[in-house]
Amino acid sequence: MSLLEELKSLGVDVDGGVKRLAGKQALYERMMFKFLDMMKKSVVSPDFDSNDYGEVIEIAHALKGAAGNLSVTPVYEAYGKIVDLLRSQQPEEARKVLKDVLPVQGKILDCIERHANA
Amino acid sequence: MKKNKTILIVDDVEINRVILAEIFKDSYQIVEAGSGAEAIGIINGHPDIVAVLLDLLMPGVSGLGVLEDMNRTGRIKHIPVFLITAAESEAVLMEGYHLGAVDVIRKPFMTQFLQCRVSNLIELYAHRNALEDIVEEQVEKLQAVNRSMVETLAAIIEFRDCESGEHVKRIGKLTRVMMTEVSNTYPEYYLPKEEIDIIVTSSVLHDIGKISIPDQILNKPGRLTAEEFDIMKQHTVKGCEILQSIPDIMDKSIYSYSYDICRHHHERWDGKGYPDGLRGDEISIWAQVVAVADVYDALTSERVYKAAYSREKAVDMIYHGECGAFNPKLLEVFRNALEQI
Repeated sequence: MSLLEELKSLGVDVDGGVKRLAGKQALYERMMFKFLDMMKKSVVSPDFDSNDYGEVIEIAHALKGAAGNLSVTPVYEAYGKIVDLLRSQQPEEARKVLKDVLPVQGKILDCIERHANA
Repeated sequence: MKKNKTILIVDDVEINRVILAEIFKDSYQIVEAGSGAEAIGIINGHPDIVAVLLDLLMPGVSGLGVLEDMNRTGRIKHIPVFLITAAESEAVLMEGYHLGAVDVIRKPFMTQFLQCRVSNLIELYAHRNALEDIVEEQVEKLQAVNRSMVETLAAIIEFRDCESGEHVKRIGKLTRVMMTEVSNTYPEYYLPKEEIDIIVTSSVLHDIGKISIPDQILNKPGRLTAEEFDIMKQHTVKGCEILQSIPDIMDKSIYSYSYDICRHHHERWDGKGYPDGLRGDEISIWAQVVAVADVYDALTSERVYKAAYSREKAVDMIYHGECGAFNPKLLEVFRNALEQI
């Protein structure tokens, strides 16, 4: 299966993302590889400090923006909720959302990584 | 259409920059900045920026920091700034608007709407900037015409007065330096430079009323009799009458300053001047300044009725009240002013 087909099966709105890039599939794929780099560098760990999570908000906010622009819908929606919950001082609820999305996020990133190395 | 029009994209996340660049690269040149500090450098050094797409949350200098710098430099008036946001709080977005941002771009980007909104505002700003340039050019031309009208009038008076055109030029020069000194030294007399420019232009008309004074009095070599001096004193009021009859040939503010200076440049601080016997700060500061400049220039110039005094002697006479009383604050700055001319 191609990268884009596989991403579709994992809930990524590939058509929306490609459309945003003027229909350029190759550019979209390159952006997905950059997204992988970004996700590796900007990790939000589920054991973040319940009393000091300002930096977590910033990282989650940046991930939300990039995921939204590439239409990585499950990641975009989850990090959007995480940002909202943390801003309304509900760290435990945010932690739950983060734990729920990590397996899906892991599959998406694995998929991109396999194709990047192929 | 494309060539020089440049959009600056500011976002610390490369993916967002690439996507925005893709959206606009067919119609505009694209410059990217990965930080607020980098953006400030580009905005200040790049004349062809027609729009800035600005992320708010960035490490180091934030988007708001970039907006603050654009306010400081005045660039915000000429370049539309769009805030890129995923979900900033309403308060942050409002702060962005207050700092001059024109619109908000939400992530994920909606390509076609975004193209339309950004292009429309770029065109609008281009139109506005062009109009501002035209207005500025016209204002400059009008000001030049105004100045030349006023100078022509002043030259006519000087022909009558058997003086060279240098007299009004010297008065203008001393008025500028004294007004600037007094404005910088005393907050109660502060005036912006633009106003001082108008006062200087207006000062050259202070003696326009002399055109109505008979030759035998105006150019009398000896001392004037009491009656003759009464007629001579009329040049202040006559000057105002002349100005009233030609108000349309000059700018309203020049007219207003000229009128005041014409009427009150012979008033004195102790109320012993003419024509209205005003005292202290009842006399406008510009009329007071022209009064000192006029007296100083009269003393240091040769006239039909007297030889020229030396600079030192003239200053001494003014400080000792031999030409009437002046505002002590004005005398404080007078010496400094003289050193500058």
